[in-house]
Amino acid sequence: MNDHLHRQLDVSLNRHGQLRRRGFLRCLPAAVLAAGSLDWQGRLAAQAAQLRQQARACILLWMQGGPSQFETFSPKPGHANGGETTAIATSVPGIQISEHLPAVAGSMDDICIIRSMNSKEGSHPRASYLAHTGYIPTASIKHPTIGAHVAHQVGDLDSNLPDFVRIGRVRSASGGGLLGINYDPFVLNDASRTPDNTTPGTSTERYQRRLGLLDSLQEESEATEKKQEVRDHRKVYGKASRMVLSSDMKAFDLAQEPSSIRQKYGTSSFASGCLMARRLVEAGVPFVEVSAGNWDTHQDNFERTGTLCNQVDQPFAYLLEDLRQRGLLEQTLVVWMGEFGRTPRINARSGRDHYPRAYNVALAGAGVRGGQVIGTTDPGGVGVEDRPVGTADLLRTIFQAVHVDADHQNMSNVGRPITVVDGGEAVGEVFSG
Amino acid sequence: MSISRLALWAMFVTCLLPATAKLHAQSSPAMIASQVDRLLGEEIGIPVGVRQSTDEVFLRRVFLDVIGEPPTSDDVFVFSLDDRADKRTRLVQQLLSDDSYGKNWGRYWRDVIMLRRTEDRAVLAQRALEAFLVEQFNANTPWNRIATDLITAEGNVREDGRTGLIMAQGGRPEETVAEISRIFIGIQIQCAQCHDHPTDRWTREQFHQLAAFFPRVAVRPTMGDVRSFAVVADDTPSRRRTNNNNRFRGTQEHYMPDLENPESKGTLIQPVFFVTGQKLDLGTLDENRREQLSGWLTSPENPWFARAMVNRLWSELVGEGFYEPVDDIGPDRECSAPRTLDLLSSQFAKHQYDIKWLIESIMLTGTYQLESGNRRTLDELPFHANCPQRLRSDQLFNSLLSVFEIEDTEPSSPAGYGPASRQSRSAPRLLFNSIFGFDPSTRRDEISGSIPQALAMMNSPFINQQIDARRGRVLAPLLAEVASDRQLVEELYIKVLSRQPTRQELKVCLDYRKGIADRAEAFEDILWALLNHAEFMHRR
Repeated sequence: MNDHLHRQLDVSLNRHGQLRRRGFLRCLPAAVLAAGSLDWQGRLAAQAAQLRQQARACILLWMQGGPSQFETFSPKPGHANGGETTAIATSVPGIQISEHLPAVAGSMDDICIIRSMNSKEGSHPRASYLAHTGYIPTASIKHPTIGAHVAHQVGDLDSNLPDFVRIGRVRSASGGGLLGINYDPFVLNDASRTPDNTTPGTSTERYQRRLGLLDSLQEESEATEKKQEVRDHRKVYGKASRMVLSSDMKAFDLAQEPSSIRQKYGTSSFASGCLMARRLVEAGVPFVEVSAGNWDTHQDNFERTGTLCNQVDQPFAYLLEDLRQRGLLEQTLVVWMGEFGRTPRINARSGRDHYPRAYNVALAGAGVRGGQVIGTTDPGGVGVEDRPVGTADLLRTIFQAVHVDADHQNMSNVGRPITVVDGGEAVGEVFSG
Repeated sequence: MSISRLALWAMFVTCLLPATAKLHAQSSPAMIASQVDRLLGEEIGIPVGVRQSTDEVFLRRVFLDVIGEPPTSDDVFVFSLDDRADKRTRLVQQLLSDDSYGKNWGRYWRDVIMLRRTEDRAVLAQRALEAFLVEQFNANTPWNRIATDLITAEGNVREDGRTGLIMAQGGRPEETVAEISRIFIGIQIQCAQCHDHPTDRWTREQFHQLAAFFPRVAVRPTMGDVRSFAVVADDTPSRRRTNNNNRFRGTQEHYMPDLENPESKGTLIQPVFFVTGQKLDLGTLDENRREQLSGWLTSPENPWFARAMVNRLWSELVGEGFYEPVDDIGPDRECSAPRTLDLLSSQFAKHQYDIKWLIESIMLTGTYQLESGNRRTLDELPFHANCPQRLRSDQLFNSLLSVFEIEDTEPSSPAGYGPASRQSRSAPRLLFNSIFGFDPSTRRDEISGSIPQALAMMNSPFINQQIDARRGRVLAPLLAEVASDRQLVEELYIKVLSRQPTRQELKVCLDYRKGIADRAEAFEDILWALLNHAEFMHRR
């Protein structure tokens, strides 16, 4: 078989190993098929298995508001800036994290902490946009968010479920941007209910009947008048109604989950979000973002961060465990991050203010080598001392883990090519030994 | 909305003679329109086989384009019976004097400005901005006046809608002038913000010279119980740095950042308007800077001001622009019919930037009145049809209200920002806008429907409740009054799509009806199908 044909087979398979309908037969040379010289069934099956194995997914745990690094993964006990927060041992000797994350401490073997994150953006909307897109906001170009790039490069437009699901409210995080609304997130305000408008207002039978009627009425305009807008409309409706009727929609229904598992995740709404994220990834959704917060603790930082950590600790830890038990952790990247950190100095209202100069993130799964800490800050946590990591570096690391080409260029609406990530370098140590 | 505009108008207008029209015959929209048709024919040739739109298509098109609402069944009836030769002209003029005209275009420009905001808190300004715009469009304030107001605004953003454009960019000079250039003259000069423009003549320095009209503008939190901001002129020197990219204070002058050395102060830049080269001295007060900029930008000596508006409105109304997209024009872009665009633009300037005059002129052209057709392929002539456009969110929501016979009493902009405004955001129109809204400057053929949109139309409780014969107010009276199934299908087609069904469509619906025992159930399904029809979501 020639190389040319191999390549065509590669692009004709989606991440689920199914044939893409679009253009597959068109690009196979007819002569090859006619000659019968090709065992392409066998080749397809092999490719499909390989692709399934490689297919990556990402769960972004978005800590809206900017979590305090001191009260999470970078405690500074013994220094005035560390406040009253103490550090606890983790499952990995030598690594300590804050007392507020005891369950996560038990999963440290899977987790890589970066303590040397830094950026220049200290306002929520701009920093959230930067963390999600790698760019600062401009009025002229809407940059795609992480999930949109994953949906675009890894996702499957033909699947029954959306490629990019966002659970809970995430502010200023952008969406599909210049990639178009096909790559916008499918948003659930709350994981405990089925997503809005996905349940027909009638019985399934009647809903199907209605769809049939709609189809006959539109068929005529499309066939006789060749109307482009009707053709496009029917395509979108086809996908939306397939989704509503699909058994895959069960992925959105937490009631299907045994109560023993639900208990292990916990009861917070973030816990439900994490559980749904696992269900969705299991069903083939490549990107899920789950938000928790608000971490904007200008007042009473210690008490409030403690409460928030308590909501996040158990679900985060069990999510990793659950993914591992199902054999999904190796291909699923879990990212814990917010838009910036908080000031080393504790203010008069025992709060901490915005601080992008030195903060932290945590990564696990998808080839990430757990049980390590990358980067250090000075004793007071004021500045990065070693191995600074910028937003572009982190995004490149994330994209490398989920097999998204960060150098790919997408065309903007004003005809300018926009690179997925401009500059930066993936943090190699995250993966290597 | 329940009163037929046309029925009322027909009573008042039929007795008036068309004599007054002759007074301004020199430059009437009708004359310009025929000049445009002639020139366009010369310039690009006349596409083969084009046909004029039917009255049904034209009526719905004009209603949605001018007032953002579909015609009622009565309107369809009255217009079809009107046999006067100039009924199309009369229709356009009538709708332009309806107050919904201002509402429709005010909301359009609200979206142009707000959907590109880089400052989230600008949501606070949205309601005031919309109110300001609606009022200006209804008063037919000249376009240069509206532009000047938006550029020179000062005041509380919740109260003075003129501040909306500046607030949308948090008052940051680079972003604010980039938007002013994009919106009012269609030139995307901000591509030169970091380096000289790759394909255009504009340099990085020219972009920063434009930003140099805005350094003294600041956006400051206001004192008081209600959370708000004010756009202020800040001419007093201050050594305090802005924090977190909030622009609470201005700076005396603008500095172009040194890309090699971003921490340094950069190069001091003098305000120069890149199109005409007119400049101001350093040290000029904010008031004079912004007055001068708006004066130069809106002057007939800057042809791009008129061209940008003409091109945008032509594109909205005909479905294809002379330049595309509408906010990326300029001397280095290709124009499909430059002479025609210049004729309309110079006339628009001569008519003191009279927006209603411009809309009427475009709507009276043969091109606007062509039948609906797909966007052209590259080897077809421009303007061979009026291209269908996806309805903007407000137009679509108005269409639903019209079908369901619901009075529109709700706000169309949120009251505030943050948790306090959550309740106002859950109003059906605002929820609807959050799903169906799109940036109107985007090429319309790049706007496709989305899955959440299809789900909302098919399954939302709001729509399904209105369709229900027992709970909604539409079907019950029709089922009771109209005994014939055929007539009821026709009624629904006129109500939803403003036209009669074709013979084939009628047959499909009646066959469907026969298959279902319960008459109400069958017609609920038919109404559901018509509301989910591609045609309902587009203006043809």
